[in-house]
Amino acid sequence: MENRLALRTTRRSFLDLLLGAAALGWLGSLLYPVLRYLKPMAAAGPGGPVKLAQEELAKLEKERFVILRAGTSRILVLQDGTQQIRALSAKCTHEGCTVQFVPGESVIWCACHNGRFDLDGKVLAGPPPRPLPRYVVQRAKDGSVTVSPEKA
Amino acid sequence: MTHLLLATLLTAAAATAEGAPSPWPSAIAPWLDEKGPDGGMIIGEAQRAYFLQLPEHTRQLMGEVADSQLLASARHANVLLSLDLSPQALELALQDNCVVCHTDPGIGDPNTLFSLDPKATGTPAHLNLKEFISDVHFRKGLSCSGCHGGTPQDEMMTKAIGQRWPKKAERHQDRTWIPAFCARCHADQEFMRNFNPSLPTDQLAKYQHSRHGQLLLEEHDSKAAQCVSCHGVHGIRDAKSRLSRVHPQQIPETCGTCHANAEYMAGYKTETGEPMPTHQLAEFKQGVHGKALLEKGDLGAPACNTCHGNHAAAPPKVASVSQVCRTCHALNGQLFDGSKHKAAFEKHQWPECGQCHGKHAIAHPTDALIGNAPGTLCGDCHAKFATDDPKCAGTAVQFKATLDELAAADRSLSEQVERVAEKGLDVEPLTTSVSELEEALVQTRTRVHSFDQSTFDVQAAVGREAAKKGEAQLHTAREEFSSRRRGLLGSIASMGVLAVVLYLRIRQMEKKP
Amino acid sequence: MSQATPRKSLFGWLDQRYGLAPLVEFAKHKEVPVGAHSMFWYYLGGTTLFFFALQIASGVLLLMYYQPGEATSYESIRYITTHVPFGWLVRSIHCWSAHLMIISLVVHMFSTLMLKAYRPPRELTWVSGFFLFSLALGFGFSGYLLPWNELSFFATAVGTDSMKAVPGVGDWMMQVLRGGPEVTINTLYRFFALHVVVLPLAAFSFIGLHLLFVQRQGMAKPMGHVAPTRGMRFFPNFALRDALIWLCCLIVVATVAVYLPYGPGIPGMDWELGKKANPLAPAYPGIKPEWYFLWIYQLLKEFPPHLLGLEGPQAAILVVAVLLGVWALVPWLDRQARRELPSPAFGDLGMAALLFIAYLTLKAWDIGGKGSPGVLPDPQLVSQACAGIAVGLAVVALIVRRLFYRQNRFFLFSGAATLIAVLNGWAGLTWLVAACTSALALLAALVLRWLWLRRTEAQGAVP
Repeated sequence: MENRLALRTTRRSFLDLLLGAAALGWLGSLLYPVLRYLKPMAAAGPGGPVKLAQEELAKLEKERFVILRAGTSRILVLQDGTQQIRALSAKCTHEGCTVQFVPGESVIWCACHNGRFDLDGKVLAGPPPRPLPRYVVQRAKDGSVTVSPEKA
Repeated sequence: MTHLLLATLLTAAAATAEGAPSPWPSAIAPWLDEKGPDGGMIIGEAQRAYFLQLPEHTRQLMGEVADSQLLASARHANVLLSLDLSPQALELALQDNCVVCHTDPGIGDPNTLFSLDPKATGTPAHLNLKEFISDVHFRKGLSCSGCHGGTPQDEMMTKAIGQRWPKKAERHQDRTWIPAFCARCHADQEFMRNFNPSLPTDQLAKYQHSRHGQLLLEEHDSKAAQCVSCHGVHGIRDAKSRLSRVHPQQIPETCGTCHANAEYMAGYKTETGEPMPTHQLAEFKQGVHGKALLEKGDLGAPACNTCHGNHAAAPPKVASVSQVCRTCHALNGQLFDGSKHKAAFEKHQWPECGQCHGKHAIAHPTDALIGNAPGTLCGDCHAKFATDDPKCAGTAVQFKATLDELAAADRSLSEQVERVAEKGLDVEPLTTSVSELEEALVQTRTRVHSFDQSTFDVQAAVGREAAKKGEAQLHTAREEFSSRRRGLLGSIASMGVLAVVLYLRIRQMEKKP
Repeated sequence: MSQATPRKSLFGWLDQRYGLAPLVEFAKHKEVPVGAHSMFWYYLGGTTLFFFALQIASGVLLLMYYQPGEATSYESIRYITTHVPFGWLVRSIHCWSAHLMIISLVVHMFSTLMLKAYRPPRELTWVSGFFLFSLALGFGFSGYLLPWNELSFFATAVGTDSMKAVPGVGDWMMQVLRGGPEVTINTLYRFFALHVVVLPLAAFSFIGLHLLFVQRQGMAKPMGHVAPTRGMRFFPNFALRDALIWLCCLIVVATVAVYLPYGPGIPGMDWELGKKANPLAPAYPGIKPEWYFLWIYQLLKEFPPHLLGLEGPQAAILVVAVLLGVWALVPWLDRQARRELPSPAFGDLGMAALLFIAYLTLKAWDIGGKGSPGVLPDPQLVSQACAGIAVGLAVVALIVRRLFYRQNRFFLFSGAATLIAVLNGWAGLTWLVAACTSALALLAALVLRWLWLRRTEAQGAVP
């Protein structure tokens, strides 16, 4: 009797194990499409160099900096005191706020937590942990400005 | 006279009693009570309503004409009011005594009476009053006297009327006077400028050089067409009006009045001495141009005059017809000009386009015309005239093979699109490829006119690319569906296993110990 | 608060605070009555709930990518079905599960009617179920517009137009629902709010009530079982069986979602995306609402423009309202069942409802009248063929009743419903005349029956 009970118990626990395994397997086959569905797709868009539009050039002239969109990245293009044009990532390395160029002080400043960077992107003050990445800028003879997303 | 006085008094009395003047002029008012032989009013309700909505000066004018007794009776008034003219046109008619008299049913001679429906009254067809009122000459103010002589103020027939033309018996036998008569005005630039400055005035000059002109003016053949044959007499309309006998959609029938009538054309010969054919109209109606113009209403399609000319109509020279084709079919013409067929056709004096496509019965071209087999255009001609050059046959064969290949690809892809769409897959890229293939097919077929393999192949290559792209997309779609099926199988397997185990668990749970 | 459970488990911790032990005891003793024939029907409420849960899940997933808007509704769904990984699957499941849910709901409704589960003390379970039925139709109607394609646009225009028929506030109601006098993108915005927030909130409330009633009162026993019925424990036996059945439903949904992604191809059950809505295009011939609305749509077609001082659509909507009102009040109308006495009349009423709706739905599908494309089907041929099918169904029902429900010898309601089909389809009368004739015949038969019963009672015979 006890043996049969023991047998039944082991058979029951084996079946329970099987049930658990089958349930897990099924959950996996259910979760896979749901997770793939929810995963955001790669942003489509040209990954190549971005040429500044007329309005952007005008803004650059007037305010000494302009912020562009290249794919999903934000790029800060500025004109420093020596008329040289630089391009850096506009995304502050602290919490991702969009930075701005302060021409009077020749610094790049992030308003969110008072982070400050120099014009090469190095951190001068505040909480940002890493420097701003730089981008390659080309100024053509006809005055157009092109920024390529490769880091300088 | 007394009854008129009485009527006037009564109308005036009635008017003063009501306090408003009667709209009916005193001369016309008594006719309102007259009844016809069938017992109904001679002047009907519609006609009365029409009169009452006319402006006052028009009504007054009609009253004056009635006073002068040129507007003679209730029936006469009814005829004029039944025309439903605009007030301006009615005024024009009323001021022209010719029109007023010749619409009077009281005139004895029915051959000079305008009728609203010549067929019903048995009067000559050109005396259709409705047509006459729409006539462009009448509307522009050229009254009857402009052609017939006399003046619009004449109240009786005068000698001046009819003096301009040959005597009645003559003028129907010998029609040579007609072109010169119309040209009195229509060849006079100064005169025509008063009416329509942009209307050409060279019709007579052109006509004199045309075949019709030669027949009529030089050979005195009155069967030949002259101005009246095509334009008519009293119902002449602007050529842009759809009702005009010389509107593009009416022209085939107008020309066909003579040229499709075998009896009428018996005895006439073509330039090469054969009897004049009369099947052109029937052929034209069968062909693509006829169908486009007459059935689909496409005014871009040519009518007889587009290729043959209007007033200078002559059988077109072999060289000139293809120039006409080129005005629309420019690309085909350009390709042909650069091909070896141009010199060859010139040598044989063949019409360029017409040699393959025909002239009147132009059929919709199909791929079946191309190739080397007997029955194809290329094959039949090359077998006779290009036996020394194997490249000719080779080109034809290659053309046919390529077109067949592309057409087959198009058919197979189009069939598959439907099936792919049903399965829930995205067919947009595939339908784009099929459109590209079909566009390339059209362009490739056009390049046949270059008769040159390399030019042809450039377009064919585009088609082949599109077909390949379509096949690849089809393949991707099928792959996608297979992967869906496999995914389904996998998930059913996992669900099935779970279901089975669950079932076993339930059974085991409920088994009695 | 139970202090008697000393277990140092999570359950013990919660039990100490919220007194969960009585709930567990209740769950342990919850039973499902087990009968010979009726076992199968008890699962249908659960399957309806399962399909609804599937709708919530697939709906939330679709919400992540769907964008309501003139330029984005149609395009975002196109994007989901072609670009988003498994997007085609999510949309297909959402559409299939919607129809399967309504089918399951209707079968569940009819089975509870036949088993007379609505009798006291379960009247409110029936009424809350009736509200859930209405909500399900509302879900179907509001969701149908969201793809903003040709079919949904015209179906919505026709469907909302019938609201004008409500006397007094009808026009105002229609304008509020449509967000204007015509169906525009504003209608879609309102329907979106309804479909995603308002109706789900209402559905959750009513489902909660419905389940609460079932839990508190237990499952209804089939009528006539005086002796204590065998019961099956809900946890874990019935619950595991429920889970097994739901798994089978999921297998079915997955399979049809892959092989028939646009539906079975029946008009009114077809969700191919098609062309984007164009409000200026004329409604294309053969346009039909979804299958569960077809009987109302056909009824609207059968009424003349004016009837007894009312406008046709008003009269038709009135008839529908009266019929649905009767349906909702069945627990109170069925006085025999209230006293636990056999009530064959109401079983027959259920049959009659099925036949009535079936005949109208078949006619709406133009069965039997297929002309060539471009030629409208001949209404007389359609009526004939549908009457044939309806009579066939009635005969099958008759056979089933003779074999399985021998005690039920009440045929007046189903007879009247079949009579409508016969008179309209085979005797050539208009549907309205056929319906009135059948109604009068039914009334006469009921009156005669009542008189005969009273006479036999008076003579001492037991009815």
